[in-house]
Amino acid sequence: MKSNLWNILKKELRELFRDKKSLSMMLIIPVFIPLIMLGMSALFEAQTEKDTSEYNKIGFAYSLSKEEKSIAKQMDIKVVEGNEKELKEKYKNGEINLYVTKKANQYTLNIDSSDNSVYAKSLTEQYFNTYKSYLQQTYLTQNNIDAGSVLNIITIKEKSIEEDNYFADFIKNYAFLFVIMAITVSATYPATDTTAGEKERGTLETLLTFPIKSKDIILGKFLSVTLSSIITGVISFILAIISLVIAKGAFSIYEGLDIMFSPFTVVMAFIIIIVYSFFISGLCISIASTSKTFKEAQSALTPLTFVSLFPGMIAFMISVGATPLLSIVPFLNYSLIFTDINAGNVNWLNIALMIISSFVYIAIVLYYIIKQYKSEKILFSK
Amino acid sequence: MIKANNLTKKFIKQKNKREKEEFYADKGITFEAHDGEIIGILGPNGAGKTTLLRMIAGILEPTEGTIEFDGLNYKNNEIEIKKNIAYLSGNTKLYDTLTAYELLKMCAQIYGIDNQKTEKRIKEITDILDMQNFLNNKIGNLSTGQTQRVNIARCLVHDPKYYILDEATTGLDIISSQIILDFIKKEKARGKTILYSTHYMEEAENICDRVIMINKGVVINSGTPSKIKEDTNTTNLRDAFFQMIGGKTNEE
Repeated sequence: MKSNLWNILKKELRELFRDKKSLSMMLIIPVFIPLIMLGMSALFEAQTEKDTSEYNKIGFAYSLSKEEKSIAKQMDIKVVEGNEKELKEKYKNGEINLYVTKKANQYTLNIDSSDNSVYAKSLTEQYFNTYKSYLQQTYLTQNNIDAGSVLNIITIKEKSIEEDNYFADFIKNYAFLFVIMAITVSATYPATDTTAGEKERGTLETLLTFPIKSKDIILGKFLSVTLSSIITGVISFILAIISLVIAKGAFSIYEGLDIMFSPFTVVMAFIIIIVYSFFISGLCISIASTSKTFKEAQSALTPLTFVSLFPGMIAFMISVGATPLLSIVPFLNYSLIFTDINAGNVNWLNIALMIISSFVYIAIVLYYIIKQYKSEKILFSK
Repeated sequence: MIKANNLTKKFIKQKNKREKEEFYADKGITFEAHDGEIIGILGPNGAGKTTLLRMIAGILEPTEGTIEFDGLNYKNNEIEIKKNIAYLSGNTKLYDTLTAYELLKMCAQIYGIDNQKTEKRIKEITDILDMQNFLNNKIGNLSTGQTQRVNIARCLVHDPKYYILDEATTGLDIISSQIILDFIKKEKARGKTILYSTHYMEEAENICDRVIMINKGVVINSGTPSKIKEDTNTTNLRDAFFQMIGGKTNEE
């Protein structure tokens, strides 16, 4: 008799595409990617382009000169004068964002670590730099020295280069991390349904009376879940690219920056998506197979969503790059390899290690589940 | 011929948090079923009928003993044996999202029947079981009786040599039950071997050539219904059974 793998796969796909819950997990999860990415971009922009009125109320515990008031006015600073005690009270009440105390020529900026205080500190520092520059110019002019040649003895210019752009790297790497998370979330439902769900509905007993090798049953189920995961991954990644195009036009933080993936990165991303889909589907099926009920399987699989997200997130935060050893660490390797490729650092050894190790893990979990399906425990474990 | 020799199944159940307890669902069951025979497996709920039939269908592995189908055993010929059996229980569930036609086609493909023969076979079975009206309906939308007819159809698709039927009429209305009983008689006439478990003694008395009475996992009597009645000096199998167990069942 020919292998029944194709028959099982056909049956699984038919069930998968006819089940509204499975379909919605497969197709609706990717829709969250643009929402998350555009939401994050809006948050970045709100952080970088805060309205001055939110942090420009500065308290001065001394009387400002006419010149100081003029500079403050030019910089849109709302000056609040008073003694230190009054200003401290006003700061506590949120009436001012920062207050300055003075002893001789020493100025102290009194702040906490809140967002508005940090912006107020930056504004006040600019104000003092301008005031200091004014005093220096006045002093030099009074002593018949060319202020321009002294103060501008060197000039500093700022140029943003792509590699150093925080937002561009951040949004691109996170976009891929969210795709990985979407694949994980979408793999859990069909994996649960096809194993613990089938057991709970009683159809697994029927299936086990057919002349089918347990290897064919498992591989059929595994391939159907993998296909569903790949569909979610591909849709998610396409939506991530579309989100980047929209974000570039909609948010000023990306102005002049290249936030698009290169064609090579796109190809490699699809390869990683496929490899990860195989890996996570095998893992989900092996975990769900050991569960007695649908609910129990779902509870067992929920932590995987976090496991798929956090290692990559932490690696971004502490700027870890892929190494041969990290390339075989499941979950972490996919985001590290992608980050490296995205940054233009293509290391074929690391890529090969990621692919080979993934398929070794898949082989181990599939071997384990095939053994499970040969045993009556799969149906009657208590 | 089906040959069951000393079939024993031991389960371990959790007595309480610390202790586990062993119990025998079936112990030392031996019988033979010949071609063209209907063997009734009788006993109350919990007697060990389902475990016995699950072992014979290859779903459970016996703790001790052997099963042979025409000299073949599960250890070496699992696929070959399963190609020749059909297992149907009152609890056998089908795929709700498939139509009856899709299920039958899938079964035929699993048994390796080619497309042309499959279409012919599905048509024949549909006519026999009067399934034309709901052949293309999803199984999830069918009534209990219609679903059980699809279940019988699924068993017929590959024209098996052996039928293992576990309380197949339980919970069915009188018409659906009759359809199953008629189907069993027709298959017997075609020389098929049928193992039929039930706790309806009258039903077994009407259709079985021989019966095996089980209580608490052990065979308490076996033979033709008339021989058992004669041995126990009773007029029906129900009374014979109660006489043999002294009025006490496994559930008590």
